[in-house]
Amino acid sequence: MLLMAAILIPLVSAVLIAAAPEARAKTIALLGTLAQLVIACYAATVFDWSFSSRAQLGMSVAWFEGLGVSLSLGADGVSLVLILLTGLLGPICVLASSTAITTRIRTYYAWLLVLQAAMAGVFAARDVILFYICFEFTLIPMFILISLWGSTNRRKAAIKFFLFTFTGSVVALAGLVYVTWFNATLDRGAVPQVILSQNELLGTWTFDVSTLITAGQMMSASEQAWVLLALMAGFAVKVPLFPVHTWLPLAHTEAPTAGSVILAGVLLKLGTYAIYRFALPMVPEAVALYAPHLSMLCVVGIIYGGLICWVQTDVKKLVAYSSVAHLGFCMLGMFALNNTGITGSILYMVNHGLSTGALFLLIGMIYERYHTRDMNQLGGLAAKMPVWATFMVFFTMASVGLPGLNGFVSEFLCLLGAFQASSSWGSGAWGSDIEPVAAATPGALGPWFAMIAGTGMIIAAMYLLYMVGKVVWGPLKTPHGHAGGHAGHESSGADDHPAPLPTDLSGREIVTLMPLAVLCLVLGVYPKPLMNAIQGSVDQTVAVVREPLRTHAVTGAPAKPAPASPANTHGEGAQ
Amino acid sequence: MLNLIQDTIVHTQPESLGAAVEKAGHAHGQTDWSVAAIVALPLLACVLTGLCAALRVKSKLPAWITVASLAGAFALTLKTFAAHFMGAESHPFVVHVFDWVTFSWAADAHAQGPQTNELAANFAFYLDSLSALWMLFVTGLATLIALYASEYMSHDQGAGYCRFFAAFSLFVFSMACLVMADNLLLLYLGWEGVGLCSYLLIGYFYKKPSAVAAAKKAFIINRIGDLFLAMGVMLIFVQFGTVEYSVLFEKARPYIELARAGQFSQIPFLVKLIPCLLMGGAFGKSAQLPLYVWLPDAMEGPTPVSALIHAATMVTAGVFLIARTYPLFLLSEIALPVVAWVGALTALLSATIGMAQFDIKRIMAYSTVSQLGYMFCGLAVLSPSGGVFHVVTHAFFKALLFLCCGAVMHGFAGQLDLRKLSGVMKVPGWRIVGFGMLIGCLNLAGFPLTAGYFSKDMILAEAFVTPGTAVIGWILLITAGLTAYYTFRVFFRVFVGPVAYELGDEHHGADHGHDDGHGHGDAHGHAQAKGHADAHGHGGTHHEPHAPGWAINTVLATLAVLSLAATGLYFVGGDHGAVAGLVDQSSAGFHSPLAHHGAAEGAPAHEAGHAVVSYVPEFVHARAHGGEVHAGTIFGADPHKAMYFISAGVGAVGIFVAFWLHLAGRKSAATSRADALLPALGPIPGWAQGKWYVDEFYDFLVRKPLWVLSHIFYLIDSYLVDGLVDFIGAAPRAAGKVIRPSQSGELHGYALGMAGGLVILIVIVALVAT
Repeated sequence: MLLMAAILIPLVSAVLIAAAPEARAKTIALLGTLAQLVIACYAATVFDWSFSSRAQLGMSVAWFEGLGVSLSLGADGVSLVLILLTGLLGPICVLASSTAITTRIRTYYAWLLVLQAAMAGVFAARDVILFYICFEFTLIPMFILISLWGSTNRRKAAIKFFLFTFTGSVVALAGLVYVTWFNATLDRGAVPQVILSQNELLGTWTFDVSTLITAGQMMSASEQAWVLLALMAGFAVKVPLFPVHTWLPLAHTEAPTAGSVILAGVLLKLGTYAIYRFALPMVPEAVALYAPHLSMLCVVGIIYGGLICWVQTDVKKLVAYSSVAHLGFCMLGMFALNNTGITGSILYMVNHGLSTGALFLLIGMIYERYHTRDMNQLGGLAAKMPVWATFMVFFTMASVGLPGLNGFVSEFLCLLGAFQASSSWGSGAWGSDIEPVAAATPGALGPWFAMIAGTGMIIAAMYLLYMVGKVVWGPLKTPHGHAGGHAGHESSGADDHPAPLPTDLSGREIVTLMPLAVLCLVLGVYPKPLMNAIQGSVDQTVAVVREPLRTHAVTGAPAKPAPASPANTHGEGAQ
Repeated sequence: MLNLIQDTIVHTQPESLGAAVEKAGHAHGQTDWSVAAIVALPLLACVLTGLCAALRVKSKLPAWITVASLAGAFALTLKTFAAHFMGAESHPFVVHVFDWVTFSWAADAHAQGPQTNELAANFAFYLDSLSALWMLFVTGLATLIALYASEYMSHDQGAGYCRFFAAFSLFVFSMACLVMADNLLLLYLGWEGVGLCSYLLIGYFYKKPSAVAAAKKAFIINRIGDLFLAMGVMLIFVQFGTVEYSVLFEKARPYIELARAGQFSQIPFLVKLIPCLLMGGAFGKSAQLPLYVWLPDAMEGPTPVSALIHAATMVTAGVFLIARTYPLFLLSEIALPVVAWVGALTALLSATIGMAQFDIKRIMAYSTVSQLGYMFCGLAVLSPSGGVFHVVTHAFFKALLFLCCGAVMHGFAGQLDLRKLSGVMKVPGWRIVGFGMLIGCLNLAGFPLTAGYFSKDMILAEAFVTPGTAVIGWILLITAGLTAYYTFRVFFRVFVGPVAYELGDEHHGADHGHDDGHGHGDAHGHAQAKGHADAHGHGGTHHEPHAPGWAINTVLATLAVLSLAATGLYFVGGDHGAVAGLVDQSSAGFHSPLAHHGAAEGAPAHEAGHAVVSYVPEFVHARAHGGEVHAGTIFGADPHKAMYFISAGVGAVGIFVAFWLHLAGRKSAATSRADALLPALGPIPGWAQGKWYVDEFYDFLVRKPLWVLSHIFYLIDSYLVDGLVDFIGAAPRAAGKVIRPSQSGELHGYALGMAGGLVILIVIVALVAT
């Protein structure tokens, strides 16, 4: 019921906003998002963390019974953590929009709340169709946010965003439906009793996530490969992995501040979460087989995205491209397919949301004051806005991956995961045949992946310090017409500010940044609670992937179908 | 919040390396808060000074908070040191504060080895004689330099003052984490933390583009080293399943047994790779070839920062890292020889650059790089106690030298050019600075009976003793002569001779650029205004240098005394002094891990004629079996004794040349006899002054190509965004018009998108291939 509330409350608030007078919209939006956050926090206290690998707080209501679709919700540790992140960013986005959005206020906040509901729905869904509906439904509010409140190129950006991600996810749906169909035509008699007793829905027409995951594992290697391709088509675009990332910089740059924050903070994580939730456990053999190839894309993305950041002049575009590099780390950890890597990857989802979200907020604050994001026109703002500059340096360091702040823990674990994941360890290939290598895991990545991806750490320092060096440090430089102390006063623009902004940050702006800063620090110094929260779920996923991974690693070829799996005969028989 | 447990390490076997740890937990009933407080106090100071900034404190309060906290940390370090490490035999112990990155997982059921794996990296502190020694001089010097800075930075009272002391305290906190960490991940936290503080403090005068650029350069070049360190840590974890020192040393024992038995070929390649990766990190942080280029530029920061961070403490972190993981370095035949060569070449190269510079702070910076090379050589020629002793003596005298230069810079409105300063010692009020400088210079030049003389001799002598490293010894000996020359070049030009000086001002000082309207030179004008009622504004309006006040003089005098007193460390304690005794008991000592081993079996004969690369196995093996390595000689004499005279002679020659060229017969500040000599050397002095164009070389070789590549990437990306994806946007519409009832427009678009991605991939592959 709690999860339902976390989805419904923003929706109800959205309806209220649409009905209420314009002046109330902001307040209702704030209350609605705060309520969502409170519910998410309360859910975290009710949640039984000792069984964090199980979907809890669940509820299931038949929806379209004939189609097997149900309104089924539930959250394991990973889902709950991401729901908390969504809940946290909600009120922050509302607060961040209060002076930036001056036109069509009701429409804006209503769609923002719909977006919040949809995102919570993605993380809480335990039914594939419900998941897909929520997944796609995030597109519409974001499309509207970009195309109505974005900057100059907003139309183009919105269309690109929509087309790219929508087309991808249609293919992903096809993959998911294939698994559903596979499950429905499964011969129950051929399935071992142990598995059957745990999944009563096996062999029936259902969209239940855990049933489909079990069924997916029974598919033949080639079927799995096709399903993986379909899933990746949808989810990799969302992440975004190189080379299907090109929608991201434009959408990020053109979106309003709150849009960018949500985009970086949560929307990208829909892709990584979906890969974690579906691709890994559902088609483990294919994932194990193709992990090196996918990891190569991650590594290319890390370096390619990072280097592009380095030559940007638009500060927002720089941060946007940095997401390509950062999410490369995140996915590299995921495809390491070991505990270290996946733990790092999930921590990365949260940490990237916090630090990059905060960077977008900070850039938004500058844009509101100077109406430019061009680093040739802006510079040395530390002299004028010391508080802003302090936050900027802080979050930049979180983004660089400075130990003691959140980014480091996840980045290090992702790299360590990739480093460990090589079956060459201990086989004599690296010369370690005397003693068993203590902490190696099966896989096909290994030190070279970590080393090459690790250059991304240097590149990150290059582009982020280049940004800070231009915008924060150096001689003061502001665009013409903004030389005065109160930059917010200028009234030549189309959007007059109802209240002028102070030179440095206002109390409201500090309040929006503070929770993120505190979390960045706490998760950097004491990440243990978060690690514990996701550990059960990660262990379970790793256990599923490990067997095929070992087989691949040893033979270097696709695993022969598992004897326990009746899927093959079934699959062929059904053709 | 803190569950503080003192874990006691019990020595089960005398030869056990790193000692078997028995986590006694609460058994001993005593929780050592004071150790945690050593780390916590600087952090507290950082928070409080940050609060001062928020409350817009305009007084010197931040400085006093910092000085008090650091003094407290020093007192606690002293207490810990006295309680645990004063005796002839000391035992390392671990203080666990709280868990950091710690989690465990079930191992692969098919793997041999342990069934659960754990990554345990906690906020826990490992105290042995090495870390205690290091903390003593870190906290002690930090306290003194904070006191100095309270006066030095007073022109900036307000937000800048708070910012300075917050970063300063944060630095001490990070350094404490680095030194006292009980695992490599916490060391890495400190490692990057000091890098951050270095970045913030180099860029303290943030309105100056050169300071911002220098800060950025320091951070990025350090990151290159950090990558190697991170890889080293990962390799250690994968190989040994731990990053905690005490467990690590225990796990490494089988390999150490192999090394003792002389079976280096049995040690796996990966284990030998570990020190090679770790040294990359050490070379970055300690400014060695090829990553030294950031340190001279780091002099853009305020002088107290140069003294503490970029001379005395942070840059010795690389030396600390190698000393801490010394047992691992002994497992590889090539690791220590590489360190030796890098150290020696860096020492020589930077000494030649230092000889040709005119900015006295830069000269000191190059001398720091050079002396760090000595320290690495000390470790690498199998004299870790010499290396560490040099770290300690260097910390004192180099901090003293920097602070003296800083006092000059402070008093002469940012003037640092040795051609524009002369006879400073004779100016009223400058005597303490002059004497401080003299003591510092004597130490650096290795003048007989100074601390620097003894610590340098230990390294030089050992280089000749250890077989195969005589070449290193000769390089270092030549460098010692050059060092004496450039050190006294500064002293003879600036502090003695005819009194003549030019104050710095904003139109002046191309070398150091403290001329920015908001930079130090200007701000100095305000400090000036306080002392001299008439003087307001900048360089041009005041003509008198203002002598340092009580805080600066007290600190200089204290440091001068300490620099001299450090000599005493050589004569108390054991064979080679107190420091050697402490080092021997730590992970860097041969005595704990490798000596006292059954000497019954005779050492098998070694093939003669090992090249330089093989002196490590020979040595380790010999030590393990109680045998003496066949000691090298210098001119047929025992290097340990002969070096006292040889190095004194070399130093004297250097000082005399400096005297002849730069003091004797000099009439003005700008010219000296050296000017007449320069043309005879052709273009070489110019090249040395241009720092051998290493920066330009790197720029051409690395930065420019990378920049071009980045632009190519960006062009490819934008072409796709603006061209291809627009086309995709248009295609479905067009397709929709053609095939009316089709709903697959998006799918077409998708296909094109994928095709576009493929095109990028091909283009990149082609780019990489060509």
